[in-house]
Amino acid sequence: MFARRTLREHVEHWWQSRLPASDTWALGQRNIYILPTRAGVAFALTLLVMLLASINYQLNLGYALTFLLAGAGLVSMHLTHGTLRGLTLHLRPASAVFAGDAAVLEVVLHNPGRQRHGLALRFHDRGGSGQSFVWCDVPAGGHETVHVSLVPAHRGWHNVPMLVVETVFPFGLFRAWTLWRPAARVLAWPRPEQPAPPLPAAGASAGEESELANAAGSELDGVRPWRRGDSMRQVAWKKVARSGELVSRETTASRQKELWLTWAAAAAGHGDSEHRLSRLAAWVQAAHQAGLACGLRLPGAELAPGLGDAHRRTALDRLAQWS
Amino acid sequence: MNGFTAAVSRVRHLPRDARDTLFHLAVIGWTVLPHLLHLPAWCAAMVGSVLAWRGRLAWTGGPLPSRWLVSGLLVLAAVLTIWRERALLGKEAGVTMLVVLLALKTLELRARRDALVVFFLGFFLVLTHFLYSQSLGTGLWMLVALWGLLTALVLAHMPVGRPALSRASGVAARATALGLPVMVVLFVLFPRIGPLWGLPQDAVGRTGLSGSMLLGGVAQLANDDSVALRVRFFGPPPRPEQMYFRGPVLSTFDGREWTRLVPSVPAAQRPRAQFVLDGEPLRYEMTVEPSRLPLLPLLEATPDRDGATPSLPGYLLTLRPDAQWQTDRPLGERLRFEAQAWLQHRHGPFEPVPGLRDLVDLPAGFNPRTMEWAAALRARPEYANADAPTLVQAVLRHIRDGGFTYTLEPGTYGRNAVDEFWLDRKLGFCEHFAAAFVVVMRTMDVPTRIVTGYQGSDSEPQDGYYIVRQSHAHAWAEYWVQGRGWIRVDPTAAVAPDRVQRGRNLQPAPGLVAGAFRNIDPALAAQFRGHWETLNNRWNQWVLNYSRARQFSLLEQLGFEQPTWQDLAKLLIAVLSLASLAGAAWAWWDRRRQDPWQRLHHRVQQRLAGVGVAVRPHDAPRARAARVRAALGDRGQALADLLDTLDRQRYGSATAAPPRTWWRAFAAAARALVTDGGT
Repeated sequence: MFARRTLREHVEHWWQSRLPASDTWALGQRNIYILPTRAGVAFALTLLVMLLASINYQLNLGYALTFLLAGAGLVSMHLTHGTLRGLTLHLRPASAVFAGDAAVLEVVLHNPGRQRHGLALRFHDRGGSGQSFVWCDVPAGGHETVHVSLVPAHRGWHNVPMLVVETVFPFGLFRAWTLWRPAARVLAWPRPEQPAPPLPAAGASAGEESELANAAGSELDGVRPWRRGDSMRQVAWKKVARSGELVSRETTASRQKELWLTWAAAAAGHGDSEHRLSRLAAWVQAAHQAGLACGLRLPGAELAPGLGDAHRRTALDRLAQWS
Repeated sequence: MNGFTAAVSRVRHLPRDARDTLFHLAVIGWTVLPHLLHLPAWCAAMVGSVLAWRGRLAWTGGPLPSRWLVSGLLVLAAVLTIWRERALLGKEAGVTMLVVLLALKTLELRARRDALVVFFLGFFLVLTHFLYSQSLGTGLWMLVALWGLLTALVLAHMPVGRPALSRASGVAARATALGLPVMVVLFVLFPRIGPLWGLPQDAVGRTGLSGSMLLGGVAQLANDDSVALRVRFFGPPPRPEQMYFRGPVLSTFDGREWTRLVPSVPAAQRPRAQFVLDGEPLRYEMTVEPSRLPLLPLLEATPDRDGATPSLPGYLLTLRPDAQWQTDRPLGERLRFEAQAWLQHRHGPFEPVPGLRDLVDLPAGFNPRTMEWAAALRARPEYANADAPTLVQAVLRHIRDGGFTYTLEPGTYGRNAVDEFWLDRKLGFCEHFAAAFVVVMRTMDVPTRIVTGYQGSDSEPQDGYYIVRQSHAHAWAEYWVQGRGWIRVDPTAAVAPDRVQRGRNLQPAPGLVAGAFRNIDPALAAQFRGHWETLNNRWNQWVLNYSRARQFSLLEQLGFEQPTWQDLAKLLIAVLSLASLAGAAWAWWDRRRQDPWQRLHHRVQQRLAGVGVAVRPHDAPRARAARVRAALGDRGQALADLLDTLDRQRYGSATAAPPRTWWRAFAAAARALVTDGGT
């Protein structure tokens, strides 16, 4: 049992490694496999019984019927193969997700030929019979987008597992399939801690402390031109209405409260680095929601404070890739 | 009207599952329907109500019944079948169970596997119809059924959305049409071998020529309009009263039933059939339907001599001493052959032989009054020394003038059937006349026997073929005269000359519809029937009659000498191998086939390398033009311009010149460049 399994694993490994990894996969004779299904075997047995009946009762119409069905069955092999042949599959780059959330991969099927029916997509290595297929038809000369989801269990880069595209159309007597090893990878951010402790207190940076003192008492907020990443709440709408230019309010919070999320601060309670990373991820999320500029200080990596979604993603990417 | 439109729109907007189920049920109903006409009533009722119930569940979206109920119905059906057929296997019982199983399976169409079971049962059910009929009509009906089943099978494999029925049926039709060549090759070349094991008893067909005769038996055949044989003459066709197709000769009478003679002398002493033939032979071609009887009803008299005897590959033909042709096994297939008959003939023995006295035997204690009547006739002075022909004429005269009536419905006769017929009721048809004639003649010590067979044919030939039906079954008599042998005499002709001279067969009263049709326009009805018969005959000749003999003659035309079924198998394998090779060649070609644009792109790259300009595979023509200009300067201007043109054709809105034309110009420019550089 053990030996067989490892042998099978070997074979599968060898098989998979000889497939080139690519985000575009053109289906042709070389990469489509086809075998009869169980229903196909049952069909063949039915035909055999029908042939025996025709021989024994000397039924010429029985022969005709049996051979007609045999012909249609053979042609269905060609049609099943043809349902895949000529398709081009393309995997769109996937955006990063938190570990444990579903990463939705978009597969586009381009069809230069006639209409295709009953195509099914699934991941190759999801064992068991309860594999969930995603079914689709592809219109003639058009394309169809299919979403398959992948749930990364932990942070870091994940290879997109091998995909199987298969069909049993039209009669279900044959199953044609192709194995596709996409080159794309999916980045999983650390899962944010839930519930997370409150954000650490924002410490004003040294250089700005004196400025803060000078401007004490004056509640006046400055304005500056709008930058990518400024939230809607920051936009000075009255000024925008007057001047016609998009300007943002420079609040004291955004200007002065610089938040550094540090490796050390995340240590409370647990010493485990993965826990720290997920706490940091939760904080990055919280700081982004509160509109606070935050920076990251990790052992061996530092990210200057910043605002906006792009900054949040960069921070999370750093956390995901930290090692 | 509104209700109808509402129903139509309801069907249009049914959920996919419900629509598919209803379609599926309709297909099953269509497939089962012809069987319901001959299956027991309980079966028809059960199948009909199950299908209707399932249809209602699909329409209203109700839940399927429990498995227990379905199993209960199945057990009930099995019990009823056993009670009626005394078996669960065998043709009738098997078909009944198959039909019930198919209907019940629709009640538990839960998974895809259930649906597949229904399809495969359905295919087999289509086949079972051919056990009953292989007519053109059945074939067409079943073709529709097959199309429906395949359409439903395709639908089951279109899981997305709500595909149109027309789309699924188109796919099914396309697959079937593409499979036609396979079917034709297999049909033509698959060796026709005999039955692999004994046919069950109930497969034996009804026919009048079963080798025994009970009074009243032929009457059943009057209702059987099916074709027994077709015959075509090479030469002037015989008159209807000359068309006697000889079947079993019945010489032994036990008072109730006429049977073949069990000879009282050993086989070695029995004489062979002897013929004296006059005049020109008549050559004919005959197609005999599979009667499942070991005999050939040939035209009288077809002797056993070279050129006259039919040749039937696979059968051993022998001529019995009573001049009847028999085969070594029942005819299980439609046979076509040629033979020769002499309409003017006599057959022997011409001198008394041992065993001839068997043919004046009558069972004691039956029909005493007829025997008295015959003895009284013989005792009349004018017949005191009369020879057999004179006596025969006297009896025929009595039949003609004695108040006899030819009818298909004479009622049933009792123990002394001949007495009742001959002296009391005087109502009967061919077998009554023949039987009474033989009893009378035997009483008068003339060796006589009954011959059964077919007499006459449809009055008008269809497509050159005279059609002989089961309803042309007939019984006549033969008497023996020393020196002249056996002489045919047809007592029925004495009372109903129409029956023999015009070959008009036994006509039962027409059914209501057929009768109405005939009354409205008899000419049109006849014409329609004629066309239909012609079509049907072609169907029989080309499809149903395709037998081993035809296969062998095909092989002979292809140049095989003395073909055997092994040759057929070899030829079949050769054709299939060639087809596979062609498929492999196509696959090879298809694998190498590229997008025309990519191929052109690749060739351009190669040609540019030839003139010393290296480009990368993914460079657009525009980029290649730039490289050509950079590498060759003015010399490459023509090439570069052409590449720019190609770029505009590919990516711009310029109208595309045919790629071939462009390539020719490009290749010429490249060549010019090479020769230019060489000089």
